[in-house]
Amino acid sequence: MKRLLRLATGPEDIGRSPGFWVAFAVLVVYLFASPLWLNEFEAYNVSFYLLNLPMALGLCLLWGYCGVLSFGQVAYFGIAGYVYGIIAGNLVGTGWGPIAGELGGLAACVVVSAIFGYFVFYARVQAWIVPILTLVLTLLLETFLGQTAGYQWRVGNVQLGGYNGMTGIPSFQIGNLVFYGYAFYYFVLVAVVLCYFGCRMVVNSHFGKVMLAIREDPLRAELLGYDIRARQLGVFVLASVLAGISGLFYVQWGNYITPSQVGLVSAALPVIWVAVGGRTSLLAVAISTYALNWVNYSLSSAGNQYALVIIGALLVVVMLFFPRGIVVMLAETGFRGGVAKLRDTLRRG
Amino acid sequence: MSASGTFLATRDLAKRFGGIVATEQVSLDIAEGELRCIIGPNGAGKSTLFALLCGIHRPDSGRIFIKGQDVTSLPSFRRVRLGVGLTFQTNRAFHDLNVRQNLEVPMGATGGTARTRSGRSEERYRYALSVFGLDGLWETPARELPHHQLQWLEIAMVLSGGPDILLLDEPTAGMSPEETTQTAKVLQYLNGDGLTIVVVEHDIAFVREVAQRVTVLHQGSVFAEGSIDEITAHDDVRRIYLGQA
Repeated sequence: MKRLLRLATGPEDIGRSPGFWVAFAVLVVYLFASPLWLNEFEAYNVSFYLLNLPMALGLCLLWGYCGVLSFGQVAYFGIAGYVYGIIAGNLVGTGWGPIAGELGGLAACVVVSAIFGYFVFYARVQAWIVPILTLVLTLLLETFLGQTAGYQWRVGNVQLGGYNGMTGIPSFQIGNLVFYGYAFYYFVLVAVVLCYFGCRMVVNSHFGKVMLAIREDPLRAELLGYDIRARQLGVFVLASVLAGISGLFYVQWGNYITPSQVGLVSAALPVIWVAVGGRTSLLAVAISTYALNWVNYSLSSAGNQYALVIIGALLVVVMLFFPRGIVVMLAETGFRGGVAKLRDTLRRG
Repeated sequence: MSASGTFLATRDLAKRFGGIVATEQVSLDIAEGELRCIIGPNGAGKSTLFALLCGIHRPDSGRIFIKGQDVTSLPSFRRVRLGVGLTFQTNRAFHDLNVRQNLEVPMGATGGTARTRSGRSEERYRYALSVFGLDGLWETPARELPHHQLQWLEIAMVLSGGPDILLLDEPTAGMSPEETTQTAKVLQYLNGDGLTIVVVEHDIAFVREVAQRVTVLHQGSVFAEGSIDEITAHDDVRRIYLGQA
């Protein structure tokens, strides 16, 4: 227990002081108490802002801590969502269909990412080829799913639905307890907090140190005795499972999924969430993912057609002026330091 | 393939990069517990030889043996697990990590099997840390260390994994005479304690101080081999490498 606590509170993330942990505890208590003043619809919306955190944390592990950029994490988001929809949709009324769907969705993520990752990492594909290959995978998946319109494209009772997507996907359910509204909010909140602490444990473990070593110098790490291919594959599969968790939450939240969820725009979003916060910090990524999902959802639901343009522009600004991420920069230099740095960057042109 | 007591051996090792011959028919026998220096002019194939020994490059022909086992087709990390430790010509300690993390990274590199520091190798590691003055710098980021301490840190990192043979590629490059002396002191202690060491080095004074045996590489081949006195008395070696007529 002591060891787990030490790993969860270790130094490999911003936010390690007693003051930080007090603030963190207050935030968690606030989130758990939120249903006292949020109505069920608002709580359901907050769960939408939270549900992408596992995918973003996974990409943060993979890119920020292990140095492997994947542009296709949404492929696993989509695989988990579709597989859940197929299994749970065929087992409607059994009570345990959604649990089987979750297990099936995550197992599919493990199998696909392990096979794909094996060929990528054991072939020693490096640098910018990896994001291109991962993007190709997700675009192939989108293309395939897009042509599944028609009655012949069904698995059991469930239609894949082509570009209209799969609809009527069952909510998560254990026995008679259906996770909707407040129950779904708590389900997602607990899972997200566990994912965050789990990721912190990974980066503060010995495995985490080796990830950092591989990120900085793969050859040096290998010449200290590590099979870096296996390590990179392990982190890739873990990140894919985390993306799958987000995919499961998504289909349980909206009860539908379309191929656009694994398309180009969707594929870019996790990269933006991670880059804007700062890819070298799990906490920074969690903050930016929540904030950007809130901004995107608020703008979109208010009828603003330019939500994605604004998010994209934000990425460009951050990359130009705060290449290490806004939250990481603020954590390192403070607000005044950040303003001074921005002024300095602008002055230098 | 090799005489008993030989720790590392190569047979007819050849490597070309396009039309350039990096090594050609290199056959070496490094005895267990030996401290061998490899010298030669720039482009002689010294660093390529090290890259072949630890699996960074695959030879075009020839074989490599560690403790009698043919490792020619083994990947680098498996050779490390057989006891090979290498430092690079250009320092490659992890600059983003602090000294403690740099030294902790190699410790678990066992792949779930055996290679951990114990007994002698633990003492060797502690001794190097103390003489190099790294044991008081645990939390210092590696990027803030001066050049010579970065070089020492990389040696300590390799020792941290408990190797049976150290391959050091120009370990004293850029060091002052005092720092070079410290490095020599540690290498002599490690070798006196039974660790096999192979050093590629340009500094002849350093080579004279530490080497038991010297191999001269020239144009990718073994040109001469012997004690430091034999090598420095060798007319052709003086001509091609030491710059004397």
